[in-house]
Amino acid sequence: MAVAPTRLQVLALYKQFIKNSKQFNNYNFREYFLRRSRESFRANVALQKPEEVARAFADAKEELGVLKRQAIISQMYTFDKLVVEPLDSQKHTPSPTGV
Amino acid sequence: MLRFTLARSAGAMRPATLSSRAVSALGSNVSLRRQYASSAAAVAKAVETDEGLSIETHTDVQAANKEQTDIRTNSNISSNVTADAISSGTTALNHAYRENTGFGTRPIYMDMQATTPTDPRVLDTMLKFYTGLYGNPHSNTHSYGWETNKAVEAAREYVADVIHANSKEIIFTSGATESNNMVVKGVARFYKNTKKHIITTKTEHKCVIEAARSMMNEGFEVTFLNVDANGLIDLKELEGAIRPDTCLVSVMAVNNEIGVIQPLKEIGAICKKHKVYFHTDAAQAYGKIPIDVNEMNIDLLSVSSHKIYGPKGIGALYVRRRPRVRLEPLLSGGGQERGLRSGTLAPPNVAGFGEAARIMKQEYENDKAHIDRLSKKLIDGLLANDHTNLNGSALHRYPGCVNVSFAYVEGESLLMALRDIALSSGSACTSASLEPSYVLHALGKDDALAHSSIRFGIGRFTTEAEVDYVIKAISERVKFLRELSPLWEMVQEGIDLNSIEWSGH
Amino acid sequence: MFRSVLRTNAPMALRRAAPIAVRVNAARFMMPTRNYSAANKLTNDAVQTRVLSVIQAFNKTNSVADVSAKTSFHQDLGLDSLDTVELLVAIEEEFEIEIPDKVADELKTVGETVEYIASNPEAL
Repeated sequence: MAVAPTRLQVLALYKQFIKNSKQFNNYNFREYFLRRSRESFRANVALQKPEEVARAFADAKEELGVLKRQAIISQMYTFDKLVVEPLDSQKHTPSPTGV
Repeated sequence: MLRFTLARSAGAMRPATLSSRAVSALGSNVSLRRQYASSAAAVAKAVETDEGLSIETHTDVQAANKEQTDIRTNSNISSNVTADAISSGTTALNHAYRENTGFGTRPIYMDMQATTPTDPRVLDTMLKFYTGLYGNPHSNTHSYGWETNKAVEAAREYVADVIHANSKEIIFTSGATESNNMVVKGVARFYKNTKKHIITTKTEHKCVIEAARSMMNEGFEVTFLNVDANGLIDLKELEGAIRPDTCLVSVMAVNNEIGVIQPLKEIGAICKKHKVYFHTDAAQAYGKIPIDVNEMNIDLLSVSSHKIYGPKGIGALYVRRRPRVRLEPLLSGGGQERGLRSGTLAPPNVAGFGEAARIMKQEYENDKAHIDRLSKKLIDGLLANDHTNLNGSALHRYPGCVNVSFAYVEGESLLMALRDIALSSGSACTSASLEPSYVLHALGKDDALAHSSIRFGIGRFTTEAEVDYVIKAISERVKFLRELSPLWEMVQEGIDLNSIEWSGH
Repeated sequence: MFRSVLRTNAPMALRRAAPIAVRVNAARFMMPTRNYSAANKLTNDAVQTRVLSVIQAFNKTNSVADVSAKTSFHQDLGLDSLDTVELLVAIEEEFEIEIPDKVADELKTVGETVEYIASNPEAL
């Protein structure tokens, strides 16, 4: 019998989904997996039964594996940015190192 | 023109277009590295053995694009007025609608009917078959064959599941074109002794129309059904066209140019009543609209993998088993795929196709909601311009395909002005020739309107920002091109264009 | 982890060249390959300004005019636990740090977050 994950475990997994989705170099895939991560975790908020939560958690963990591998591949094979993609930094102030 | 960089000091060599997001991701903090354990560390270690060697390979699409558009611009294929406007360099047309504003240069992809991007989850499934699982699925003497065979059969289940079929009824082919040819030629040839008639429509994909035409050379008669102004066939006309020697009715599910959905269930009922086989080309429909082969009495159905975010080069044909549909195979050989399609299957493609089908089913509701929303936004935004209209039925349509006419604008010149958006005026096969779309002709549109039509494809990976950009860019360019047009001037002055007598030179 | 996989720009290559042992033993604020000389310590004010701009970019609908140190993510900004995770990821990116999950769960207000970042010697 699978044990339902703790709240902290779910949030940690969600964090991994967000972080890995953001790593996609391809704009459309990045935006899709961010959107999909948000939607699927939100949709599962309503899950009550421990076994349902456990199953959703296990499924999500498997998907995270795919996400991690594919994000690496997306970074290996890069292409020009799209016309809707900003080129500027995500940083709000330049870091002191100038990196 | 692809440029692969294996940069030693990549910072200097990488094209300027690489975003600083990526750069900031690359130059990370030490503390982050400690966080990642086991497998990731192993990857990092493997890569780090040669200090400074980049495993990133950047494809410079921009250079390739520029080359292509230069060729197109210089060839002067469209009228002189627009060619001048485009090459003058001082106009808005020469550039992306956002120029030098800190955005990228690669066009937005809006040609989802031609093909779709491969879903990363599909690629993830396929990679196994390009690395370790390379056995021939038809080898039954060793485990290499068994493991790929298992994957092939699992994929067959997924493909069948989407249309509520049995996995034994799925034949893997090279794509929808092969499937369509197999049906039109195969069924007709099998029953050639007793049946001599095929029914199809004027708005079918070229491969069905051409396959049917080639059967005319083999002594068959073909009826091409008309469609109404909405692109729908008349069921009474269909029923009237069925003869005792009719062997096949082939009507596509979703039209590739205008997105119109034909009444499959009603057509299926008519075909069942008259004991004629019903084939539907579902390349654009599979996984995108609900299809149930039993409820709709579909006997044969063609599918293409690359329209559902799967790999290119594979498709399927559903062939009903009860009652059994007989057809003569196009390819002779080892008798794979129930003897209907000989040749070794490609497990990477089959598995990728299967995964794509599985995801289509899993993500159906989500994709539908997303595409419906963006489609509505796009249609509302485009039709807000004067003298524009949506081609094809507004009710019976797949929302991911939006075909709009912009009167008094030449479609090709609009497309050339839209270098920042990848679009098509019709199907990929016919847009090379500058002939107006035969599909729009069948709807009763005149040449001018057919020429000024553009097809927009929305899919799983289309974003709202892209749709916003497209609406703004198109509206601006349409306005600009119309201002160049003498016809538009006359329309503004209230002259009825039909009253003008044109003199030939 | 991709950060570690795909490090290719020059400053990073230099940074990597520093042996781990040196990095641990030497004063943390004086890592030899970083091209700044002053201490790396960020002031609370500087951190807060940047945190606010991250919140602004993240929370597109609400104005941040009245966001202060006391502002609670949940009660004032209306973020649920998933939103908060996402906001903290954006903040992590901004400062190039990694906030441990347990700590992250305890950060409920802007002020607590600012304080944590200011006290983190690795924040950039």
